[in-house]
Amino acid sequence: MDMTIFSNLALGFGVALTPINLLYCLIGVLLGTLIGVLPGIGPVATIAMLLPVTFSLSPITALIMLAGIYYGAQYGGSTSAILVNLPGESSSVVTCLDGYQMARQGRAGVALATAAMGSFFAGCVATLIVAMFAPPLAEVALKFGPSEYFSLMVLGLVAAVVLAHGSVLKAVAMVLLGLLLGLVGTDVNSGVLRFAFGISELADGIGFVTVAMGLFGIAEIISNLELKDEREVFTNKVTNMWPTKEDWKRMWKPILRGTFLGSALGILPGGGALLASFGAYTLEKKVSKYGHEFGKGAIEGVAAPEAANNAGAQTSFIPLLTLGIPSNAVMALMIGAMMIQGIAPGPQVMTEKPQLFWGMIASMWVGNLMLVVLNLPMIGLWIKLLTVPYRILYPSIVVFMAIGVYSLSNNPFDVLLMMIFGLLGYIFVKLECEPAPLLLGFILGPLMEENLRRAMLLSRGDPIVFFTKPISAGFLIASIVLLIILLLPNIRKKREEAFVEG
Amino acid sequence: MKIKSPKDFWAGLMFIAFGLFFLFVARNYQMGSAVRMGPAYFPTVLGGMMAVLGGIVFLQSLVFAGPKIPKMSFKPIFFISLALILFGYLLKPLGFILALVIMIFVSAFGGHEFRAKEVTILAVLLIIFSVLVFVKGLTLPFPLWPAFMS
Amino acid sequence: MKRLVVLLAMLVHAAGANAQWPAKPVRLICPYPGGPVDISSRVIAQQLQEALGQPVLVETKPGAGGVIAADYVAKSPGDGYTLLMGAIATHAINPALMPNLPYDPIRDFRHVALVVQVPNVLIVNSDLPAKNVGELIALAKSRPGKLDFGSGSTGSTGHLAGELFKQMTGTYMVHIPYKASAPAVLDLMSGRLHLIFDNLASSLPNIKAGKVRALAVTTAKRTNFLPQLPTLDESGLKGFNMTTWWGVMVPAKTPNEVVNRLSTEIVRALETPDIRERMLAMGSETPSVRTPEAFSAFIESEKALYAKLVKVSGAKPD
Repeated sequence: MDMTIFSNLALGFGVALTPINLLYCLIGVLLGTLIGVLPGIGPVATIAMLLPVTFSLSPITALIMLAGIYYGAQYGGSTSAILVNLPGESSSVVTCLDGYQMARQGRAGVALATAAMGSFFAGCVATLIVAMFAPPLAEVALKFGPSEYFSLMVLGLVAAVVLAHGSVLKAVAMVLLGLLLGLVGTDVNSGVLRFAFGISELADGIGFVTVAMGLFGIAEIISNLELKDEREVFTNKVTNMWPTKEDWKRMWKPILRGTFLGSALGILPGGGALLASFGAYTLEKKVSKYGHEFGKGAIEGVAAPEAANNAGAQTSFIPLLTLGIPSNAVMALMIGAMMIQGIAPGPQVMTEKPQLFWGMIASMWVGNLMLVVLNLPMIGLWIKLLTVPYRILYPSIVVFMAIGVYSLSNNPFDVLLMMIFGLLGYIFVKLECEPAPLLLGFILGPLMEENLRRAMLLSRGDPIVFFTKPISAGFLIASIVLLIILLLPNIRKKREEAFVEG
Repeated sequence: MKIKSPKDFWAGLMFIAFGLFFLFVARNYQMGSAVRMGPAYFPTVLGGMMAVLGGIVFLQSLVFAGPKIPKMSFKPIFFISLALILFGYLLKPLGFILALVIMIFVSAFGGHEFRAKEVTILAVLLIIFSVLVFVKGLTLPFPLWPAFMS
Repeated sequence: MKRLVVLLAMLVHAAGANAQWPAKPVRLICPYPGGPVDISSRVIAQQLQEALGQPVLVETKPGAGGVIAADYVAKSPGDGYTLLMGAIATHAINPALMPNLPYDPIRDFRHVALVVQVPNVLIVNSDLPAKNVGELIALAKSRPGKLDFGSGSTGSTGHLAGELFKQMTGTYMVHIPYKASAPAVLDLMSGRLHLIFDNLASSLPNIKAGKVRALAVTTAKRTNFLPQLPTLDESGLKGFNMTTWWGVMVPAKTPNEVVNRLSTEIVRALETPDIRERMLAMGSETPSVRTPEAFSAFIESEKALYAKLVKVSGAKPD
């Protein structure tokens, strides 16, 4: 290995550990945690709002703070997911599945600690990956074209079915429904408005956050309110706040796997990081011997996706720092933030502005450390929140959701839409149709269609390209293998049994 | 015909309805060819698959026994939905503070018991917190008071 | 109650003296959150806030290619408290592209000040044998229908520039639309696409690093960022002149004093060295359009240009 990495990192820490940079890193991660906890309020709006404030700062200080907001938000997003089944950030949707169940069983502290440790570990490893392999990994991003993306989406789609723990048929139908809902809005290829019915608010499609908050948050509140006794919502006996030895034993492998999956998918522009948490969850469910506990409060179901989304958040800086290509909306805004500070993001940043490049990487590690140090003591406080009577808790959740969703585009329509998805989510609960596969389909749908049509356009209608390109072919083969495993009769039988029990 | 699994019966019907809906609406768009797939291509294929799957779930519900659908409770549905809609559409005309008051009180009616004093205290605290964090801190562009007053 | 009294007093005050504008916070509606339009809106808002002595809040209202925001401002009261960061899409391209636009880009607005104007560049994959525009045309003619050009969306300047290029050179290339220009640039670098008409500022680093090759700028004059790069006009495509732009607009009924005050303050802000530098970093040289009248005339000409362009390109959503 190249020894210059150490001198580079030393240079980076020299920049990141100056008092002013430490201070702004702290401000960034604190603010990030706050907006991460608050549903709907995301890093894009916050960073845009803070941009003018950063003009008075040096470029590196400004970028350290803005980056802190981004990964701090990933961190905070899991808190509301675990405590009240409310995905604070889109990447924490998966954490709702098992994290919230753990909270209901009095294990909120364990879930929060798991999320924090998983995120911290993943953040450290992913930062190291960025430091050591950023340029070669950027080449990987270049290898992904429309056919590779499409095949990856196919694999994701097959994996989506694994997400469900009930009937496979219904899970597939829910995935399809998600795919279809994802198509609402302007068609990328033709510019035609689809399924918008003259509502201009639907022209850009339905927002993921809106759907997730409706299906999870609102539906959960309505379901809880019909319980006979509100004390049924959260059990009173909080077992332990800190993970036990058994918990540690169960979580470390999922954290490791989640970290690597997240790091890998985070590099891919176009929804990579979002897919990472879903992917990590599905993977764990397949490989874990506690697979049957998933969806009922399995600690692996918190550890793996949290590690994955935090790792993905760090590695998504790779295309930005090395190619000047943003991998998501936050990174696009970071490009603007860099430009307005007089830095042109792209291949030269690393050579021409080494203090900036390495300083930012070092600050990510510092920021992750701050997050874990700040958040672990907070757990006790968060758990206290669950002892608040539900009749007081739920109107507060409704308030934060409504404000957050309204702020997405400053339009009441999104609040209405969230309400509709809340009702739909409630009906799904009653009919035992799980929302997680729908959400994954919802993310994959538009990406899949877009890339399929683009690949076909580029190949002039020859579907062979999906098989002649090695990466694409690899994904398709993996999908077929996974499909066969899924459809093997004995596994299906086991699933049917589980379904009848439920 | 006897419904043996009510959950699947209705779920199947729901899937069929959604599938046919997308299928039907997609007929307004161009189908295109495999090379230049039109905007109708994907939704037609998916909608069709969904309707077929829904059909299978539906038929299964007539053969295999399954659990009953738990009772729906309409009180929370009504009050939570109403609270959200009122907040969304009253925020601009009435301002943030009044819209919050309305939302908090209406949603509180959806619970088991409504304690006026408790809800009032909650409303005051939530409003102070929201104004400080969202309007002052995060500078969300919400008017605090009704339009005619500012 | 005390608050109510103060508010009522303010109300009377505001009604009594219109010259006192602004007497309350001003909102600047931005149709495109999270991008360069959003960023420059924040910059301008901050400058206006200092100049006007009242908070200027940026409110993002995304949706329908900017139509939601533009329509909202078009139907807002003309009291100087609701501004729009209108752009080439909302005021020049959409009118040609969308038959049922709910607002009139000329009559429903007063056009206050052009804020940002950035050139596009024609960039090609660095392995493509064409070293200049002439060679590209020759290549496209020798391989009709084999070259692909990408764009950030159907009906974007990148798409329309490509269509205009095809029409003026009599070549045939396939348009591959993307959701944003970044993924298209990625496919250009890796060789899946052959050429793109992209925003100068975002492609500049990759041009300098040799990851892509620039063949020409789309503006009538050469750009100071790459002074050796010829224009398309010089390269044989006479009269080719396209830029991406956005600027501040207000509802049509807004009084003259307000429009003039805003215009003066924005032009002054754009000329301060700090803001100038930041705008330059985003690829925008200080616009030559400096008065509301000139801005209106500019929009009229742009609207006419794109009406023609959209027609020749056949880029109507069907």
